[in-house]
Amino acid sequence: MAKLSLSGVSKAYGATLALRRGDLDIEAGEVHVLLGSNGSGKSTLCKIVAGSVRPDKGEVLIDGRPVTISGPQAARALGIGIFYQELSLSEHRSVAENICLADLPGKSGIFVDRAALEARASRYIALFAGVAGEGFSAEALVGNLRADQRQLVEIMKALSSEAPVIIFDEPTSALDRAQVDRFFEILRQLKTEGRGIIFISHRMDEITAIGDRATVIRDGETIRTLKLSETDPAEMIRLMVGENSDLPSAEHELPAAGPSAGAPLLSVRNLSGKGFRDVSFDVLPGEILGFGGLHGQGQSAVLRALFGASSISGGSLELSGRSLAVANPRSAIRSGLAYVSGDRGRDGVIQGRPIVENAAPIHYLKERLLLARPSALRDKVLPALGALHTKFASLAHPIGSLSGGNQQKIVIARWLIERPEVLLLDDPTKGIDLAAKADLFNLIRQLAAEGMAILLYSSEDAELLGNANRILVFNGGAVTRELTGADRTRYNLYQAAYEAA
Amino acid sequence: MTMVNETGAGKTGAAISEFLKRPLVIALVLIVVLLFAGNALSPGFASGQQILRLLIVAALLGIVAAGQNVVILGGREGIDLSVGGVVSLSAIVGGNVMNGADIGIVPAVLACLAVGGFFGLLNGLGVTLLRIPPLVMTLGMLGVLQGLLIVVRQGIPSGQAAPGLSSFVTQPFLFGLPGIIWLWVLIGVLMALMLTRTVFGHRIYAIGSNEHAAYMAGVPVKLMRVSVFVISGMFAAVAGLCLLGYSGSSFANVGEQYMLPSIIAVVFGGTSLAGGKGGYTGTMAGAVLLVILQSILTTVNIADSGRQMVFGATLLLLMLLYGRGRAMRA
Amino acid sequence: MAETGSAKAPTPGGFKRLIERYPFLPALGILIILLALNGIFSPNSLSYRSLTGLVSTYLALIMLAIAQTYVIFAGDIDLSAGAVVSLVNVVIIVLMEKMGGGGLAVFAALGVGVLAGLVCGLINGIVVAGLRLQAIVATFATSIFFTGFALWVMPVAGTPAPALFWRTYGSKLLGLPFVFYIVAALAILLFVISRTRLALQLLSVGDDAQAAYQTGLPVTPIRIKGYLLCGLFSALAAFCVTGDTASGDPLVGGKMTLFSVAAVVLGGSALAGGWGTVVGSLLGALTIGLINSLVFFIGTPSEWQNFVQGLAILVVLMAGILVGRRARA
Repeated sequence: MAKLSLSGVSKAYGATLALRRGDLDIEAGEVHVLLGSNGSGKSTLCKIVAGSVRPDKGEVLIDGRPVTISGPQAARALGIGIFYQELSLSEHRSVAENICLADLPGKSGIFVDRAALEARASRYIALFAGVAGEGFSAEALVGNLRADQRQLVEIMKALSSEAPVIIFDEPTSALDRAQVDRFFEILRQLKTEGRGIIFISHRMDEITAIGDRATVIRDGETIRTLKLSETDPAEMIRLMVGENSDLPSAEHELPAAGPSAGAPLLSVRNLSGKGFRDVSFDVLPGEILGFGGLHGQGQSAVLRALFGASSISGGSLELSGRSLAVANPRSAIRSGLAYVSGDRGRDGVIQGRPIVENAAPIHYLKERLLLARPSALRDKVLPALGALHTKFASLAHPIGSLSGGNQQKIVIARWLIERPEVLLLDDPTKGIDLAAKADLFNLIRQLAAEGMAILLYSSEDAELLGNANRILVFNGGAVTRELTGADRTRYNLYQAAYEAA
Repeated sequence: MTMVNETGAGKTGAAISEFLKRPLVIALVLIVVLLFAGNALSPGFASGQQILRLLIVAALLGIVAAGQNVVILGGREGIDLSVGGVVSLSAIVGGNVMNGADIGIVPAVLACLAVGGFFGLLNGLGVTLLRIPPLVMTLGMLGVLQGLLIVVRQGIPSGQAAPGLSSFVTQPFLFGLPGIIWLWVLIGVLMALMLTRTVFGHRIYAIGSNEHAAYMAGVPVKLMRVSVFVISGMFAAVAGLCLLGYSGSSFANVGEQYMLPSIIAVVFGGTSLAGGKGGYTGTMAGAVLLVILQSILTTVNIADSGRQMVFGATLLLLMLLYGRGRAMRA
Repeated sequence: MAETGSAKAPTPGGFKRLIERYPFLPALGILIILLALNGIFSPNSLSYRSLTGLVSTYLALIMLAIAQTYVIFAGDIDLSAGAVVSLVNVVIIVLMEKMGGGGLAVFAALGVGVLAGLVCGLINGIVVAGLRLQAIVATFATSIFFTGFALWVMPVAGTPAPALFWRTYGSKLLGLPFVFYIVAALAILLFVISRTRLALQLLSVGDDAQAAYQTGLPVTPIRIKGYLLCGLFSALAAFCVTGDTASGDPLVGGKMTLFSVAAVVLGGSALAGGWGTVVGSLLGALTIGLINSLVFFIGTPSEWQNFVQGLAILVVLMAGILVGRRARA
């Protein structure tokens, strides 16, 4: 009998169906992977189980008995724990308080039992001893932690539910290899204890490493559940994307070495700043320079500093042979730089505003416009959106009505109206679906072919290997290795990333 | 919650109910309802003359609310509690500069705009450069302004409105409507154009919706934020001058009555206090709605205590009509 | 702009850690400076007698600032707190008068006063958390309602409090002023409340309400409890006002609301919620009191006093926020 079983679960937000028909069976002692591109309904399904989203229809059974999950509190009581993709942490509370927040140990009903709280939290903190990184402690405020450390807190919080069923919605996106390995050890332990685990990840290697079975969800519908031992990545991707979609080839062929001679468009010499030091490189026009390495080794920090979003403490920059000073993004944009962040919710999307307003701000700035004439804007924006195959109903629709991938396309399109000379891409495909990724990289290669210099940081090695003409591997805030030509292999990338890490 | 109904009738029904949920529509419907109710309670309430008087009072509130609206749209918990102080100060400054003479009107307008702009600038600088939360900054500024009012009133006589200003506010100016109504309509048109058809307007929404994304897209966030407070101060100053024209002379703390009502008018107009969402047309309707409500309550012959209780309770009911915050559970 | 993705883990320095633990330290520093200034300009102002006077005058604001703190913890605000003070003030005055002004009458009236404060808090909680209206505008609306109710209870100010009540408030017990006992009781009460689950839950809700809800916290009841605490302490503030002014006034608290908000900010709490201490608010309220007395003692001309007070409060507000942030940054 399944530990947790969902059948025919659906959820609509207004006119958009987030989940059409979700079916799922979780057995005791298995890691069950949910597969699906972004916006396919995985997170909605998870949140319905966890009680934070109210389903419109459908049935949930726990140990064979039908239950009504009236909210997150009820879900916990029914034995369901969850790791939220967007995290559910209180920044100003300590790690220990966060871990125990859902069920604060009490004294005589109303007081917090501090000793019990510390003791309980330390059990879960100990699970990640040695890999949690500097500054991680029970007393540390969550707001002071790095992204990966926060994710660890959320994992500990989910584990502390000690629930028979635990959902992990993209728990590894910010974790480094060692942290992931430790996490997987814990998951294996949970399996032996007979818990049912739901696991979501966009990294195929993780899925195959830890999953037992997988359920594929496409366009809000459960397509199929299969045993991971009886399938391969190619089949899974085919199921996720659908039969008649264009498949981006699983194995990228190595791009050409790119332009090798000529004057560099952007020269960076001994650049230092918060999170990186002594970084030097040249980018030629038409070149895609990849930034690789474990996450958080300074790649983003360099890109943001180049864009003027964080301060530079030393070093020099030259653009087309002229010295370049970036005080803030505004001046960087004026000098011909562009920056696209993977964290589009924070850095890119102006939520609640029409698509056209989301696509126009760079145009406003570069043309020093005062008036925003709808017809003139339309003529500027439409071609840029077309270049990315963006799907939208009308320019006046709010950007929130689009899927994540299409939102990111709008954000990128704002840089295509007046073309920049250097494009800084900071993990631009984070959390967007495969089709959108393919569109994006096609565009990036085309832009490079037209002479733009592109700096690409990606947390997915395949994207780097498949697109970059050259790869700089970052480690501890510095460039430790440069991979060119035939050296650009997954092996070399891993090896350089883990050197002395 | 039910599934989306795809039939034609359901669609029209949904469209109508969507339409009726729009803040502007709610406000207009409520205005009509209240006018009828007022007329039933006290015949003559909805006469042309009375409505005109209501509109003048609403224009005063509406002009303050225009600035408040811009600040709130700009987000980051934008709010301007100092508008009441600026209204009072502007009335005094204006009264003294013009001192009952028409020739002084233009200098008075300029002086008041400068005063309003100055305090708006201080608010804006405090909020942007020192990053003081707007509520705190403008609350502190309100305290300063109230103290300044006492100083100013001790030092100089309370000035007189120029006859030209008084007649502009109270007497027919064009097509039987007083100048202040036309001024308000003009402000309404300019606000609408600014918010929808200018880069400045789009940038206000951008910083209100996602300040960081706006910054990364080259929006001069600090300049924008200072600007919205300057605009708010200037609108409050204009309202102070009009108020002077309305009452003939300034008296202590006349502006205080506008502080929180200007925020309520904005909310009744459908602008979110979270910023980045809303517009001024609704705010105008919200101002009219609020003034009519107050006026009905003064018409009805009940004790002040009862009037206040009914007013407070009605405000709450109206807020409910305007829709509530998002539920925790989606 | 804050930078993420730095390679090095953050290791908070000593001062930063201290401020994290005791967010009210900047407020304490400002308070000590103000005390020193008071002492310099008027040595007499630091006398036992003057300080007792200061505490008994500003105890009401202290209580109200504490009341405000609990809702601000949860990211809410209560603009009706002053109106609740007025309402409770007139309710207990009228009751004490009707019941003859004896000891029993006083206790009964205080009981009803606490109840009235709690009911007001409950109404605010239901309106803001239950019905999900914006706290700023909704509590402004309830403040109008409560003021109306206060006017109904006592249409004009002036009814005196029974002598027993205000004499006790101003009396000495075992050689110490009565207000000191109130302060001591308050300290114990605050300590007890700070150890409760509710205090932690309020802060978590203020930090990120959606996250708290998804964690499984009963967010709406928690916020309502915050407003109940606010109502309770507003009632206590009203008792202090009544003890200090010895009469009823249906508008007495109106001016206190915004000062209570200012005191909370002075105390180092974040208006957005999730961060702060009640001790800070207590210090913040005293700071406002000290500013007012300092302005008096340095011999400011009477018509300039309000202006200088306003300016000083603004400056101190800014200074407190800047110091607190520098420490946290």
